Amino acid sequence: MEPQLSWYLALSAILFTIGVVGVIIKRNVIAMFMCIELMLNAVNLTFIAFSSYFQDVTGQLFVFIVMTVAAAEAAVGLGIIITIFRNRETLDVDDASILKL
Amino acid sequence: MTTILFILFAGLAIGCAIAMVSQSNPLYSAISLIGVFVALASLYVTLAAPFIAAVQVIVYAGAIMVLVIFVIMLLNVEHEEPRRKRLRFLVPAAIGMAAVLIGETAFILYSVQATESGVPRTVSNVGLTQSIGVGLFTQYLLPFEITSVLLLMAIVGAMSLARRNTILSSTARVVPGAQVLAMDIDPARAGKETVETETTAEAAHLLGVEFHSNQENGE
Repeated sequence: MEPQLSWYLALSAILFTIGVVGVIIKRNVIAMFMCIELMLNAVNLTFIAFSSYFQDVTGQLFVFIVMTVAAAEAAVGLGIIITIFRNRETLDVDDASILKL
Repeated sequence: MTTILFILFAGLAIGCAIAMVSQSNPLYSAISLIGVFVALASLYVTLAAPFIAAVQVIVYAGAIMVLVIFVIMLLNVEHEEPRRKRLRFLVPAAIGMAAVLIGETAFILYSVQATESGVPRTVSNVGLTQSIGVGLFTQYLLPFEITSVLLLMAIVGAMSLARRNTILSSTARVVPGAQVLAMDIDPARAGKETVETETTAEAAHLLGVEFHSNQENGE
């Protein structure tokens, strides 16, 4: 029995949900950042599965662009994390609440 | 054969993802995330996308995760601090939201099962480097160029974020709310206590450094 398209979509949904759960329960900002990367990868898997299913290269082009955005996000996000740590001496997101009412 | 590979790598991906979320040490989380990336790259190979699989390993597992591990090592945070008291209604609200999310995922799975069909295994050039390159430089040239502008913006943004503020002295730390860490005023009082000031100029005065307001001389 060959793997069905729905199997890949189910795997993608599971990985995305784990990423969402991680973003919610984690308080270390680096761990939250890595959970966002996991969610991006889950979406990439959906793109690749549909690209293979429809025999269309467009999905893989979008994955390429998503990866570029993830790289840019890593550069800027880690810069922000280092700035937060330099100002606050902590990585706990609950401490960075100066914009909260 | 493909089914065995799918089960193997899907199990590896889910296991590594759960390990990543359950770890309290960010370094172990990062290594588990690399496992997820490698398992997904293997799945991309079985889905006839060898170029994306190679880019996945090189860009994600190589470049991005090395950067993340570098930052973890640089900041040297071993474990998460113990959880503090939160609002009372947060835990029931979180459980309710999780039930909604799981329900949505189950609905999606149920809807997808209705249109059961296999992935075609015909030989084609989809996924080869040549077809991706042709697509990127013909039909999708504009997104490609916008991506290059985005990368340039990321470089400039990362550099301006990493640069220290030169108006104050290099050791001064003034947060936007005009709180001054006590250790910056007096090294003998080094600790967690902070001194509240009304304005940034006052904080600069406490720190004993010159501060020029932006409005006054337009710096």
